[in-house]
Amino acid sequence: MANGWSIIIGLVICLIVAVAGYVLAPKGENLTVWRSSILLTVACTYIMWALTLLAQLNPLVQPNASDFRKQYIE
Amino acid sequence: MGVPDTLFRSSDMSLVQLYVATEIGREVVSALGELGSIQFRDLNSDTNAFQRAFTKEIRRLDNVERQLLTSMANEFGISGFFATQMEKAGVTVRPIPRNENVTAAPSAHEIDDLADRCDQLEKRVSELNESYETLQKRWVELIEWRAVLREAGSVFEHAYGQVEEIRQTGEDDDTAPLLENDMEQNTHQAGEQQSFSVMNIGFIAGVISRDRINAFERILWRTLRGNLYMKQSEMPDKLVDPQSGEEMAKNVFVIFAHGREIVSKIRKISESLGADLYQVDEDTNNRRDQIHEVNQRIEDLNSVLQNTKSTLMAELRMIAAQLASWMVVVKKEKAVYEALNKFNYDQARKVLVAEGWCPKSGLALVQNTLREVSDRAGLQIPSIINELQTNKTPPTHFKTNKFTIAFQNIINAYGTAKYREVNPGLQTVITFPFLFAVMFGDLGHGFLLLLAAILMILNEKHLDGRKIQEIFDMAYYGRYMMLMMGAFSLFTGLIYNDLFSKPLTLFPSMWEYSVPADWKPATKLVAERIPGYTYPFGIDWKWHSAENNLLFTNSYKMKLSIIMGWAHMTYSLCNVYINAKFFRKPIDIWGNFLPSMLFMQSIFGYLVITIIYKWCVDWAARGAQPPSILNMLIYMFLRPGEIQERLYAGQEYVQSFLLLIAAVCVPWLLLSKPLYLRWENKQHRALGYRGLSEHGRVSALDDEGRPSGDGNGHTFGRDSADYDGEAVALVAEDIDRGEEEEFDFGEIMIHQIIHTIASYLRLWALSLAHAQLSQVMWTMTLANGFAKSGAVGIIMVVVTFYMWFNLTIGVLVIMEGTGAMLHSLRLAWVESMSKYFMGEGIPFEPFSFELVLEEE
Repeated sequence: MANGWSIIIGLVICLIVAVAGYVLAPKGENLTVWRSSILLTVACTYIMWALTLLAQLNPLVQPNASDFRKQYIE
Repeated sequence: MGVPDTLFRSSDMSLVQLYVATEIGREVVSALGELGSIQFRDLNSDTNAFQRAFTKEIRRLDNVERQLLTSMANEFGISGFFATQMEKAGVTVRPIPRNENVTAAPSAHEIDDLADRCDQLEKRVSELNESYETLQKRWVELIEWRAVLREAGSVFEHAYGQVEEIRQTGEDDDTAPLLENDMEQNTHQAGEQQSFSVMNIGFIAGVISRDRINAFERILWRTLRGNLYMKQSEMPDKLVDPQSGEEMAKNVFVIFAHGREIVSKIRKISESLGADLYQVDEDTNNRRDQIHEVNQRIEDLNSVLQNTKSTLMAELRMIAAQLASWMVVVKKEKAVYEALNKFNYDQARKVLVAEGWCPKSGLALVQNTLREVSDRAGLQIPSIINELQTNKTPPTHFKTNKFTIAFQNIINAYGTAKYREVNPGLQTVITFPFLFAVMFGDLGHGFLLLLAAILMILNEKHLDGRKIQEIFDMAYYGRYMMLMMGAFSLFTGLIYNDLFSKPLTLFPSMWEYSVPADWKPATKLVAERIPGYTYPFGIDWKWHSAENNLLFTNSYKMKLSIIMGWAHMTYSLCNVYINAKFFRKPIDIWGNFLPSMLFMQSIFGYLVITIIYKWCVDWAARGAQPPSILNMLIYMFLRPGEIQERLYAGQEYVQSFLLLIAAVCVPWLLLSKPLYLRWENKQHRALGYRGLSEHGRVSALDDEGRPSGDGNGHTFGRDSADYDGEAVALVAEDIDRGEEEEFDFGEIMIHQIIHTIASYLRLWALSLAHAQLSQVMWTMTLANGFAKSGAVGIIMVVVTFYMWFNLTIGVLVIMEGTGAMLHSLRLAWVESMSKYFMGEGIPFEPFSFELVLEEE
């Protein structure tokens, strides 16, 4: 479902959202605030999401645990 | 008219000159005060406050204000009696609702009326107050007299009843007190109703305060050597002293003594001790009449007192209803005259000349206002507004709204931006709450924050302009900031997959535990990756229950914070370029932007690239040991050109090259700009310009720093272009001295690293700490509740939920939230703004009634 390509696909989606936000931002005296906020939000959220995905793309450690209940195992 | 004001740069300002006919000067200024978009310059700065045109008017208004304040004080407790009476009557000053123009532009005669009325009212209230006090004093006296009469009466009754008895005992007992002996001797011939005066026994009755009674008694005893008979008792009711308003406990006393001299001595002593003496008739019938009369007078006085009080109350209540609005009128009026005092008066043309700064976008509005006022007054001469050309630095003004004002104030707290420089406030709207959320990432906590913000925003109508409690007011002021912080915390909470420290299982996990056949409880199992599948949004929930959870989140959050820091700083650095372009200072691009950007990218940019590269490579498939990024960075400085663990081919050449760039950038960054400025200085000097003063002010240095002054012959003392020149000159001097200093490359490098990227590691530390703390909170409280079952379990869950929820709100949301906010603030100020923010602006302080009234 999700692999390395997701980063690119996500980027494309984010770019579309950013462009749409830039164009569709409410006109008026607060236009600059709207545009800057939308673009920065898209950028920040994309970076955060992409980095989280990248960190798990080729994990070097695996989770381990020993406090399983019997019901869970069966 | 000009470009619209945006938050990206401060508003375009123009220096305007107003010509207003003297007749409507007051009205015009008043209207401009309502508008609040012009900052008047003081054109009479050389005259002192007493020499100005409208000093008299201001004095008069000061007086009115004082009168109003005293009547307010009257109601609020300078005179304690009225305060309590007022409370009983329920008289309060009605606060003026905000943004209501009940008192817009008062006319001149309204003000005169107000002043007269204030005078009259003050006189009347103080008269009433005085007469009330006199009456009150009389009343107290009468009450005391009555008490004395009663006390003395009881003594007399007692004495007459005992006369016979006394006579008998007196004959037997020689050691009896003198007084009784006297009495005995005198009553010997007299009948039962015989008066004391015949026996040559005088008496004195009065009232004295209770704390003095002991001293009084002792003094009397000593001076008269015991030749007296004293009877005293406490007055049951405490009386209020009308002057001080304090309650006084008093005692009634009756003293009998023998001989006129002794009696007058007693009178002197008691008067010197502050006792009040009252006339008491010894005849029983007369005394009865006296008591009767006193009672009558008390009753009369009571009704008079009642009347006076109600008149006073009515008067005060009338004032209270209007006090607040009067106060507003007076404050506005005073502000108007203070503004008028800054104007010039043109004798020849009979007009007032004013100068001031006004945002270009507001000019049309100012013009309209001027026209309206002129039309209303029906004047033939129009008011003229005139834009001036100037080389003075205009004040910095940002047009904010209720959403942006809190963010802008964060920036203003750091410093006033230079006129028209890039405003950090715009980016802060997002970066500040986002960096906060990186440290505060929890879906649940973010939701609580968002909820609080939404509640405040929905109740804006009720809460606006009200003062409730300091901390709440602060939160209310930053409600939109809280909204953004809450919203971003929801997002980061989703990414961290934390909901009150519990994970959400939105997507199937990428990890699977395969159970061996011989599984026993407490066997350690290691999860297997489902091939080709990565958890698509946020952190896989299986990490939450893993024992090595920290191993993963630690490295993830640390790298995340480094990359965030790099992005934030790079973004901030770009503003240096924008500023240099805007202010046409190419030296800032070549001497500052370029070297810092190269330095940053060759070290931190490279670091970020290697982090991402390392994530992207499947090291297991490659069959190589993944190299440590930290070691790589350290060895890059320590042994350039040598590779311990290889990340990619040709790594040593790339790293050596980058290091070389960074090494070149440091002296470039530190030397180029000062050297350029020095060179420029020399050029100017060669052209014949000289410093203007002995302080080394070289205003000619700045190409804007021509001698200032405007067409009308006014010269202005303060010119910020001069400041620039001064700063440049100082820099130039510094270079002369410090040129030979060696640059310690290593030290600067470490300094740079510590003060930049390392500072962002707070994101890593705080987000880890927050997650851990919320987990501890859960296991210590609610987890215990869920561990029990049955009735005990139910009670435990209720109790532990209560604890958990309170701790969550108090510690995790409020305390940790405040902490994360302060850290985010520091990142905004120190790590981001210090890179490009020039500051040194002059804040725009418009003449606005709203601001004048807010100052209270």
